[in-house]
Amino acid sequence: MMAAAKQTAGEARRGRRARRVLALLGPFLGLLLVVGLFSLLAPESFLSAYNFKTVATQTVIVGLGAVGMTFVIVSGGIDLSVGSVIALASVVTALLLRDGRAPVLAVLAGVCTAGLCGLVNGLLITRLRIVPFIVTLGMLGMARGFAKYLAGEQKIDAPAYWLADLMTKSPQPGWLLVAPGVWGMFLLALFMGLVLRATVLGTHAFAIGSNEDTARLCGVPVAQNKVVIYALCGLFAGLAGVMQFGRLTVGDPTTAIGKELDIIAAVVIGGGSLAGGEGSILGAMIGAFLMSFLANGCNLTGVPNYVQEIIIGAIIVAAVAVDRLRHR
Amino acid sequence: MKPSVLRFLAVLPLLLLAACGDDGAGGKRRIAVIPKGTTHEFWKSIHAGANKAGAELGVEIIWKGPQKEDDRDDQIKVVEDFISRGVDGIVVAPLDDKALAPPLSDAVREGIPVVICDSGVEWDGHVSFVATDNYRGGVLAAERLGTLLGGNGKVVMLRYQEGSASTMAREAGFLATVTGKFPGIDVVSSNQYGGATTESSYKRGEALLTAFPGVEGIFCPNESTTFGMLRALQDAGRAGKVRFVGFDSSEKLMQALGSGELDGLVLQNPFLMGELSVRVLVDHLEGRSVERRIDTGARVATRENMDEPDVKALLAPDLSAWLK
Repeated sequence: MMAAAKQTAGEARRGRRARRVLALLGPFLGLLLVVGLFSLLAPESFLSAYNFKTVATQTVIVGLGAVGMTFVIVSGGIDLSVGSVIALASVVTALLLRDGRAPVLAVLAGVCTAGLCGLVNGLLITRLRIVPFIVTLGMLGMARGFAKYLAGEQKIDAPAYWLADLMTKSPQPGWLLVAPGVWGMFLLALFMGLVLRATVLGTHAFAIGSNEDTARLCGVPVAQNKVVIYALCGLFAGLAGVMQFGRLTVGDPTTAIGKELDIIAAVVIGGGSLAGGEGSILGAMIGAFLMSFLANGCNLTGVPNYVQEIIIGAIIVAAVAVDRLRHR
Repeated sequence: MKPSVLRFLAVLPLLLLAACGDDGAGGKRRIAVIPKGTTHEFWKSIHAGANKAGAELGVEIIWKGPQKEDDRDDQIKVVEDFISRGVDGIVVAPLDDKALAPPLSDAVREGIPVVICDSGVEWDGHVSFVATDNYRGGVLAAERLGTLLGGNGKVVMLRYQEGSASTMAREAGFLATVTGKFPGIDVVSSNQYGGATTESSYKRGEALLTAFPGVEGIFCPNESTTFGMLRALQDAGRAGKVRFVGFDSSEKLMQALGSGELDGLVLQNPFLMGELSVRVLVDHLEGRSVERRIDTGARVATRENMDEPDVKALLAPDLSAWLK
């Protein structure tokens, strides 16, 4: 009896791992396919070190946003405010730099403002019991409006100091190969991947997303975890906002409009389920790179913008359709 | 799962290949032309002009705007991708006078010459800057309005937006001329901004007409402020009674010009801008020396001259020959 139980438990674990690998297989194959396809179509330009550096840099903003978003989606939520929060963080950073503050302080202020937005999201969702879609939709408007107010409805010119170097394609020292921001994204993704897989916060996120009532009955502090998760998502949006400033070297309150949808798409293409309980950071990274390579490849081969939009739309639907079939 | 995945994967390359079309253009030079957006009439004219130069000079024109209209980051991506692609030259209408400088420096570092068109950028690595002399456009507007008013009267100028270099130059040109050349003219308001949309200009226009009931002349520095003010004048029943000079053209503004509700429109020449940008880039590639600054000109369309062929070509250009 005991042996049988142990056996099924082992099988279940093995099954779960197999499913996890399978969940990453689809997006990974998709990524390989896109890279392979454009390598054939435009071998000289697409397959160059310079182009890979370019794509990696172009992925940083969506990639960082997707790290935080994965936690939210795994826990069964959604955060529509990320694009606006990115703009707000970039504006706050630019404002402090313009006023002559130290870059470190400006970055910290930008990231913390964004974290605060996330915290407010989490508190409103748990205290007022409003669905995340509505709360974050509200924050989408509020953060954007606040960014425009702070910026006086125009972009802010500010000295960029080393923030511009975060997103440069010719980093110093040369052995870095890619922009420091790209390394930052990879390291944070690795770290947060471990947090999601191997810590209490991660386990709770999965439990809440799988079945919130059961999680509550099992003693998971649901509200507390949610607040932490949305604040985390805000912090990562803040980091993305700082990177956005580094890239533009101006604080632009109208930047990153609609970016939240790219970020959500990255998580979903990477196997995240909007029903909650599923998703991985690695998958989200693959999803982000898949979209970047696709956009880049389309630009290199001269595919018109509207075709590119159609293809990305189709890929999102296809990724979820494949996911459905896997569950059957 | 497998068959459907495979089916999807099988269709994707076909889609892309179909979309690529005739990209492999042999030994032809390839010049990328990057507008601020792709849907406005202004950019279509630039596209047509670039295509004309391309066809006549035997170079391939690759037209690609930012994925999202007016998105700075997306325009940077387009520039970066053209650097990767290794085009022979880039023509760009920068969305931002600062943010575009780093990627354009990258282009030059990779040996790709850059021509700036339409709007300036704080960067001096360009081969040439091809654009309207906007200050001169403002001067033309002031001369037209001043003459119409006989050198006397109260005038209002509704500005466009703070930080927009091209319209600020038009406003400066207008103010300097109207006060310098026509001492009898009194500029009663020149500190109001219409903002980005027609709607916001409309509201600001209404407020100005209420605040200055005795106004006899009005100048607006771009299409949206001109149209917003026109709507406000029509609403107040004063269209045609106040002398009104605007900037740029559209279907509705042309009608107003024909019916006498507008007394003048300063017109730029985006078609020539597109054409000259490509020509000057090819000249540079072939080792000829080029002008650092090229003015593509501006002229005033009026009810009297709007049917002349060369004015008509600016008011309502026929682009069909150059845009497939």
